[in-house]
Amino acid sequence: MTHGSLCRVRTALLVVLALIAAACGSDSDADWSEDSPSILLYSGRDKELVQPLIDAFTESSGITVEVRYADSAELALLIQTEGDNSPADVFISQSPGALGLLAGEDRLATLPDDLLGLVDAGFAASDGTWVGLSGRVRVVVYNTGLVDPGDLPTSVLELAGAAYAGRVAVAPTNGSFQDFVTAMRSELGDEATLAWLEGLAVNRAPNYPKNSAIVEAVGRGEVEMGLVNHYYNLRALEADPSVASVNHFLPAGDVGSLVIVTGGAVLASSNASSQGENLLRYLLSIEAQSTFATQTQEYPLLDGVAAPDGLPALSGYTADTIDYDLLGGGLTATIELIRESGIEQ
Amino acid sequence: MASSSSSVRAPFGLTAVAVAIGLIFLGPFAYVVWRNVDLGTDLRSVLFDEDTLHPLSQSLRLGVAVALSAAAIGTGLAWLTVRTDIPGRRVWRLLAPLPLVFPSFVGATALLAGFASGGLMEELLAPFGIETLPDMRGFRGAWLVLTLFTYPYVYLPVAARMASLPPSLEESARLLGRSPVAVFRTVVLPQASSAIWAGTLLVFLYAISDFGAVALLGYDTLTEQIFADKLFDQPRAMGLSLVLGAVALIVVIAERSLDRRRRRIEVVRSRESLVVPLGRWRWPAVAVVAGFLGNALVGPVAVLGFWAWRGMTADAASVGLATDMGELVGPTLRSAEAGLITAAIAIVIVLPLAWTISRYRSRVAGVANSMVVAGFALPGVVIALSLVFWAIDAPLISRWYQTLPLLIIAYVLHFGAQATRAAQVAVDAVPRRLGDAAATLGAGRARRFFSVEVPLMRPGLLAGAGLVMLSTMKELPATLLLAPIGFDTLATEIWGAGDRGALAQGALASLMLVALSAVLTWAVVIRRIEHY
Repeated sequence: MTHGSLCRVRTALLVVLALIAAACGSDSDADWSEDSPSILLYSGRDKELVQPLIDAFTESSGITVEVRYADSAELALLIQTEGDNSPADVFISQSPGALGLLAGEDRLATLPDDLLGLVDAGFAASDGTWVGLSGRVRVVVYNTGLVDPGDLPTSVLELAGAAYAGRVAVAPTNGSFQDFVTAMRSELGDEATLAWLEGLAVNRAPNYPKNSAIVEAVGRGEVEMGLVNHYYNLRALEADPSVASVNHFLPAGDVGSLVIVTGGAVLASSNASSQGENLLRYLLSIEAQSTFATQTQEYPLLDGVAAPDGLPALSGYTADTIDYDLLGGGLTATIELIRESGIEQ
Repeated sequence: MASSSSSVRAPFGLTAVAVAIGLIFLGPFAYVVWRNVDLGTDLRSVLFDEDTLHPLSQSLRLGVAVALSAAAIGTGLAWLTVRTDIPGRRVWRLLAPLPLVFPSFVGATALLAGFASGGLMEELLAPFGIETLPDMRGFRGAWLVLTLFTYPYVYLPVAARMASLPPSLEESARLLGRSPVAVFRTVVLPQASSAIWAGTLLVFLYAISDFGAVALLGYDTLTEQIFADKLFDQPRAMGLSLVLGAVALIVVIAERSLDRRRRRIEVVRSRESLVVPLGRWRWPAVAVVAGFLGNALVGPVAVLGFWAWRGMTADAASVGLATDMGELVGPTLRSAEAGLITAAIAIVIVLPLAWTISRYRSRVAGVANSMVVAGFALPGVVIALSLVFWAIDAPLISRWYQTLPLLIIAYVLHFGAQATRAAQVAVDAVPRRLGDAAATLGAGRARRFFSVEVPLMRPGLLAGAGLVMLSTMKELPATLLLAPIGFDTLATEIWGAGDRGALAQGALASLMLVALSAVLTWAVVIRRIEHY
């Protein structure tokens, strides 16, 4: 018995050591050598979408890309904490806010003009630190069984009115909502924006943590409507075509019909910046842009690539009046405004 | 060799080890303090602000409510499944710890899909005239979800404790004609109290630091505020993290000072475990256990199964729906690897600390222990960033950056608490006379430790290891930020699928996580506690 338990402890220790050794051994596979260029990408966008594009890029350029997939905001915090020692070369973000934060701390390199010139000026940072890769439009998703189409708003501003009390879900802590409120501030000013947010607070607009949760809630009829990005509902319909949620696009020109871009940047601390730029250039190629349109039904930003089927044309939704730099640097003030309004319950 | 008793000072070596462990676990706290200083956070204005006090009180309310209900349920289930003749005991023992492995956002999503208005249950119940179910959002939903998925923090240590309690007292009580309920109240409960407290403390710390469930259910807590502010209002996020850490420390220290006054009950090794006959209560007890596990385990699994089935049988033309079992093999192995290594290392690291505290009542070790336990209350992303901060340009350590060893360290820092309290309960249970007796027979210290004391501590240590293992397998923020490139786990698969709205693939990965947990919990924990 004594001998037996000693043996078992030893066996357990050996197993653990072997596992650790195996784990350490596998790290050495990642040795970077000079002759095969390799870069590290921090991707705030989903693996399912990004990895095929990365593989195609590697095949055509010979540049190996390692990818860390995580939430955009958390990757921005990671880059910020890593500072000059960050191993990353390129950062792709779901939201311009996270890019703006890093640009404000001089973590991002200035991109060359030919790369920035691939998209409309409104879809890239005015200081050239990041470039837009795809676009999403803010919409009102609604449940067809609960909402009479005649009741749908023609402007997002109407949602603060008493007619919509308790009927419209929001995600006040979500990046897209914060980007949208920042755009509203730049267009209408802080006072009007706060008044609108307070209207939603008085309406007790139900809170959710993110777009997908709102779309699910609207789909099962827990709440009538919700403010989200357009492509989540398209996904929900793929999973269950019978789901009762439908996107309502606000008229072009309304402050509610903002285009929110996803963007890419090269880190200032990268010592492989030209390879990084090549990766961004590839993501703005016709091939990659078409993938965005067909795979995630996002709007391509490269001129001449068709928008996803069945969606209104992006031309009606140009975002060139929105100052994306304000979206970045101004987000702290936006968050304070959102909190002040009492919308978070 | 001096006989160990509380009046004897801890040997210098043990104290040094305890200090070293405390210093390692101090890392995340030191980072939070440093960030507050660096950002010039005005702590007074952060703390005495209605926008802080309200979520703080919400956090505390939720923490206390969940802790109380989880304590009651965990203890009751442990007693029923370990000490009574309830039918199907072996099955219940295997299933009872499993709800812990649901990442709380998965549990909350499944609960909402099942029970929220317009959910699956409403469709099922509609023919019976039940049209609307109670609203699950806010406090009620958060309390329910967290109770259902955290009671194993109480269940596992208490079940391990009950499996190794001396049956003599209980037997005498029964012979004196006391009812099972009276025996439970007067004999079993006091004997298991230190394990119950240990688990309850973990539940409280988990509940105040949870983000996934409270966010999804729309209940505003301190942790939710930290997440909302983490990027664009960093002074406030870091100030709030400090508040959260301080709350945790206060609670941990208070619990410790209570624990010091509790009397110790040592275990004996006896092959026959006492079984309390439930009599006519047998089947009602089965109904209670089955009903509860139905909600905590079968319900969520059923919802996940429905999503996965819908995905696998769907029209192949619908893109993004494809569910692929093969893709889950790698993540499953990596989840198992991370969980097993972390559990083993956590136990080995905290055992000296637990030994020092229990045997010598060392104050230094007590402080170190508070650090270990309170670390559990910091959000995972803060733990991860603190490791980045300490490791990124540190000599010797920086080469481990974004490799498995550093990730394992992050797990151990975050979940060490789960091992340390269980280990303390386990050490407390070892009779001191046994070691002394072995010493007089000439057994060496190491031999005594491995041949006499480790087997006695085994149930408690395995329970702690089981908790760490289950928590590690569902961990997300540190895994995403610190794992080696390509180290996808089941948790990251579930997150990725959820992020792109691929319900079916996420559900399949969640089911795989539950299945893997069942296998590992049985192989590593249950089987070995039972064959004690």
